[in-house]
Amino acid sequence: MIMHASTFPEWIRRSWPMGKEVKEVKELLEGLHLHTVCQSAHCPNQAECWTRRTATLMILGNACTRHCRFCAVNPGTPPPMDPDEPENVAEVVARLGLRHAVITSVTRDDLPDGGADHFARTITAIKERTPETTVEVLTPDFSGDPGAIGRVLEASPAVFGHNLETVRRLHPVLRDPRSSYERSLEVLRTAAARATDTFVKSGLMVGCGETAEEVRGSLEDLRRAGCSVVSIGQYLRPTPKHFPVAEFVRPEQFASYEALAYELGFAFAVTGPFVRSSYRSEDLMRITRDKVAHAG
Amino acid sequence: MRVDVILPSLGDDADAVAGGTVSFWLAAPGTVLKEGDDLLELTTDKAAFVVPCPASGTLVEQRVREGDRIAVGDVLGVLET
Repeated sequence: MIMHASTFPEWIRRSWPMGKEVKEVKELLEGLHLHTVCQSAHCPNQAECWTRRTATLMILGNACTRHCRFCAVNPGTPPPMDPDEPENVAEVVARLGLRHAVITSVTRDDLPDGGADHFARTITAIKERTPETTVEVLTPDFSGDPGAIGRVLEASPAVFGHNLETVRRLHPVLRDPRSSYERSLEVLRTAAARATDTFVKSGLMVGCGETAEEVRGSLEDLRRAGCSVVSIGQYLRPTPKHFPVAEFVRPEQFASYEALAYELGFAFAVTGPFVRSSYRSEDLMRITRDKVAHAG
Repeated sequence: MRVDVILPSLGDDADAVAGGTVSFWLAAPGTVLKEGDDLLELTTDKAAFVVPCPASGTLVEQRVREGDRIAVGDVLGVLET
């Protein structure tokens, strides 16, 4: 057989879905006018997750007021908030039978509270509709507003996540100027200080040109901020217009990052080429809770 | 029975990942395949994807060539089941 070179290394390979589950989930979401980050970010795990009937729902519209160079979500002026969205999210969570729901959003610098109240109402709607479902939120930085962070935590999500995204040096290169490394750490610090029964989680992308030493520095910063859960995955360029991939980090390097995270005291770390902040977080929740219960 | 192998949707809401480029075929015409066997690899902007064979049968025709840009809904090949 003649072998042709693939653009990607062998570990950046997925299976294309041939089943009907993807179509079913897509129709369900469209019927309720909901967005997912799976679709908006062109996530390569989408088929795998949707086939398992899980999805990460994206609230507050599908246009973002910030413009980060790695992100495929459309920058622009978001449409007015959909007041029915919390209920519709709860509906889709119930219909998909999710035991763990992950809710994220675009950044809404145009809203006084950054959309924090909408997040809280969505968490509450899910809890009322399906009390057995645990809820994880992955939030924007709310411009660092402690009141907004507090409003989300009042609704008691099981996990409060905010992604640091990249190492300190690359932050100004990759992120919108209104975001900053220190501000993201501050968001996590505020959440960790206020959280009572909520895990604080963050995520990093690698393969953007960072060194392993810089990743260590960021993991140490996250621990100091009070994060107990971390995810590290390969950055994959969504379109040729986005920031180029500097390196496809090898699986053994991901294993080394995972070991380092545990060494630094994270309760749970998930790393790998296709790991995304919410990838398999249902498993993560279960294992983390078991560990914490065990330690207690 | 001849069955068209069609590239189904990934569910993406943008056309950017609604298709890709055929990297290479993983089965030659005449190959007897089982459902789920690797059929071809295609690349999108974000990753490489292996398209599995949707049914057991013999691959009788390849309708797309390596290097072709393909879209969701395209017929990739024909199986005799």
